[in-house]
Amino acid sequence: MGVGILASRAIRPASRLLRSQTSNLSLRTIVSKPELQSPEAAAASQPAEPPKNQILPPRNPVGGARVHFANPEDAIEVFVDGYAVKVPKGFTVLQACEVAGVDIPRFCYHSRLSIAGNCRMCLVEVEKSPKPVASCAMPALPGMKIKTDTPIAKKAREGVMEFLLMNHPLDCPICDQGGECDLQDQSMAFGSDRGRFTEMKRSVVDKNLGPLVKTVMTRCIQCTRCVRFASEVAGVQDLGMLGRGSGEEIGTYVEKLMTSELSGNVIDICPVGALTSKPFAFKARNWELKGTETIDVSDAVGSNIRVDSRGPEVMRIIPRLNEDINEEWISDKTRFSYDGLKRQRLSDPMIRDSDGRFKAVSWRDALAVVGDIIHQVKSDEIVGIAGQLSDAESMMVLKDFVNRMGSDNVWCEGTAVGVDADLRYSYLMNTSISGLENADLFLLVGTQPRVEAAMVNARICKTVRASNAKVAYIGPPADFNYDCKHLGTGPDTLKEIAEGRHPFCSALKNAKNPAIIVGAGLFNRTDKDAILSTVESIAQANNVVRPDWNGLNYLLLYAAQAAALDLGLIQQSAKALESAKFVYLMGADDVDVDKIPKDAFVVYQGHHGDKAVYRANVILPASAFTEKEGTYENTEGFTQQTVPAVPTVGDARDDWKIVRALSEVSGVNLPYNSIEGVRSRIKSVAPNLVHTDEREPAAFGPSLKPECKETMSTTPFKPVVENFYMTNAITRASKIMAQCSAVLLKK
Amino acid sequence: MAAPFTLRKIGVPPNSANLTEARRRVFDYFRAACRSIPTIMDIYNLQDVVAPSQLRFAISAQIRKNAHVTDPKVIDLLLFKGMEELTDIVDHAKQRHHIIGQYVVGEGLVQNTGSKDQGKSDFLKNFYTSNYF
Repeated sequence: MGVGILASRAIRPASRLLRSQTSNLSLRTIVSKPELQSPEAAAASQPAEPPKNQILPPRNPVGGARVHFANPEDAIEVFVDGYAVKVPKGFTVLQACEVAGVDIPRFCYHSRLSIAGNCRMCLVEVEKSPKPVASCAMPALPGMKIKTDTPIAKKAREGVMEFLLMNHPLDCPICDQGGECDLQDQSMAFGSDRGRFTEMKRSVVDKNLGPLVKTVMTRCIQCTRCVRFASEVAGVQDLGMLGRGSGEEIGTYVEKLMTSELSGNVIDICPVGALTSKPFAFKARNWELKGTETIDVSDAVGSNIRVDSRGPEVMRIIPRLNEDINEEWISDKTRFSYDGLKRQRLSDPMIRDSDGRFKAVSWRDALAVVGDIIHQVKSDEIVGIAGQLSDAESMMVLKDFVNRMGSDNVWCEGTAVGVDADLRYSYLMNTSISGLENADLFLLVGTQPRVEAAMVNARICKTVRASNAKVAYIGPPADFNYDCKHLGTGPDTLKEIAEGRHPFCSALKNAKNPAIIVGAGLFNRTDKDAILSTVESIAQANNVVRPDWNGLNYLLLYAAQAAALDLGLIQQSAKALESAKFVYLMGADDVDVDKIPKDAFVVYQGHHGDKAVYRANVILPASAFTEKEGTYENTEGFTQQTVPAVPTVGDARDDWKIVRALSEVSGVNLPYNSIEGVRSRIKSVAPNLVHTDEREPAAFGPSLKPECKETMSTTPFKPVVENFYMTNAITRASKIMAQCSAVLLKK
Repeated sequence: MAAPFTLRKIGVPPNSANLTEARRRVFDYFRAACRSIPTIMDIYNLQDVVAPSQLRFAISAQIRKNAHVTDPKVIDLLLFKGMEELTDIVDHAKQRHHIIGQYVVGEGLVQNTGSKDQGKSDFLKNFYTSNYF
């Protein structure tokens, strides 16, 4: 008992009667002990450390991560809280603690960005160091003894938290980040329970960064994660830190919008609610959302996403970690096109009346009508076209149905006549997306990866930044967020490189791991064979295709293309569409509607009333990618599955079920009636589509291809994607995408 | 009215002494129910929907569902519940769609006799109903 308690006794009532009653009650004054005042005294009063030879329980790295030792003989041993861990040589103290299973709080450190070390939340105590060190910046030295749970470290965290909260506004009830805010979580876990700030808080003016990112800069804690992300990963130098001290502001110095296609990722990166999603503002709290882990289909990359839904509505889309494909980022189109899923949805089967208007009918009637008409048509006048968002199961059933009706005309959008799917290397990204990091020279032929596949572009940007790789580009003038040499605009430049006359050839010969990326937009050209054989001859001459490194890549445009080519949905004859009498469009909106003859009977099966619906005679509503379980193969041959997150709209059905029901009504007996049956059928055609979450590389190289005798035309390459924000039915129906394309595209 | 009067007369006293008495009570209940069928058809306008024989069949099917019970006390309780249900129906405490849905033989009486669904497979039948099967 100290003097304090005796003194406080004097304050209490001295009456004996009252004392006996109040002795156990809450009338206690706050007493502070010397041990609580300073950390050193507390450390002195703690019991001695446990003996060294005590066996400590085994610890796993944070998050179940695996540690990669680049040089196993260069491993260092450090001690984290008494536990010895082996870490590779260049690791920082924070990374060593992560390997030891200790998660150190941090705000400014992010594993994929450069180290800033300005938040000071990661301070830990290191023996023989006069002050606590910032673990994110200090390299781990051999024999270092790191202590993360001592009173000094705890006091440091409480102090940093107190400082951060001093100027932070009391916005939790109106801040979108509430519930998933790093500041909230870390102040509960590591902060003190009271503050001492009694002055006025500072406030900062909000910046306008565009229709996607909402900024409340008063909440910013100046961690500079967004600045580092924009300059390193996105490659644009839009954001910066202005001012000094407490007057620091993050912003664009001029009144500029964030036009980068990766701008939505700063929303995930910002630890507080300073940068939030503008379409998602005030819509939902994160605890009322159900997250479903699925795959994105807006481009051929197949980024892993988590769809957050509340009931039947998709509220937002968040990226998932996948080291091989998209790391932790997704493009703006993936992130913000979800509101297109609520507009222009087809929900009932419809038949066009004699006066030209659509009338809603039941499934029985619609399928009966289609089944009747399909028997009145000759078998080679039947054409089936799969769309860019079709999954492998529905394409398999469509191909089986059309083939059993006697026709060979079933293909996927984007594959022009003459594209053959015999050899898989000729339409896949043979260096996988993660393998692009090892390339030191890129040659982009007719492709603008920034608008076609934003995650591939991010990977190229990462490689350029990390290892100073060189990028050369042949095609129409486009903007890149890394240094890129524009060699030419057309096939002439290709011919020059193939013949060795171009100055670029020497760079190509000297590169150790060259990567050639050919865009799938070239598949639509008439001289496609000549161009592709020229590219392959360049590859042969410069040792691009080797047993240990295959640098010849084809970048596909649509999510359904790789699976379609694996299943064999290719266009055999050029005149098939012009002489068709029965056209079955399964979500195909990019088909040139004028090419369909006026007397053809068109059935449109899809989820949005987009372009091709206006020509259709019968509409069959299908489910979108967030509502069905479908298999998609990305451009590198990685098979993934979407998972249904929300129920289907109205009377819509799954694509493959519609085709299977139609086949039964038409009298064609397909040998499967469940999704497992469809998958076993796919297994006999393309077994790699059944092995989800596995990449199947191409088996043979270009050596098997026959020589091509055609000549190249001289028309320059055209850009494939005109408007990045409006490429498929869902994005065209989305209001956010419309705002973006109106405001953010460079005119 | 005569029917509620008949029903009031045949209440279910709390205890049957043995199985024979319980059986007697079951048959008395069945008779009372069948006698109130014309009233039910009149109240709920079931003249074109069902025949009285079908309703009798429905009632007897419900009773037969519990034919395996041997404990007189359990039979008493089931009878009490049956009496409660019958009183509700006769008192117009239910509505037409309840009667049609619960006692008219066959789920979807009208559709079962249609010619559309006879030759179809399970897949197609499920497909027409909903997306999730």
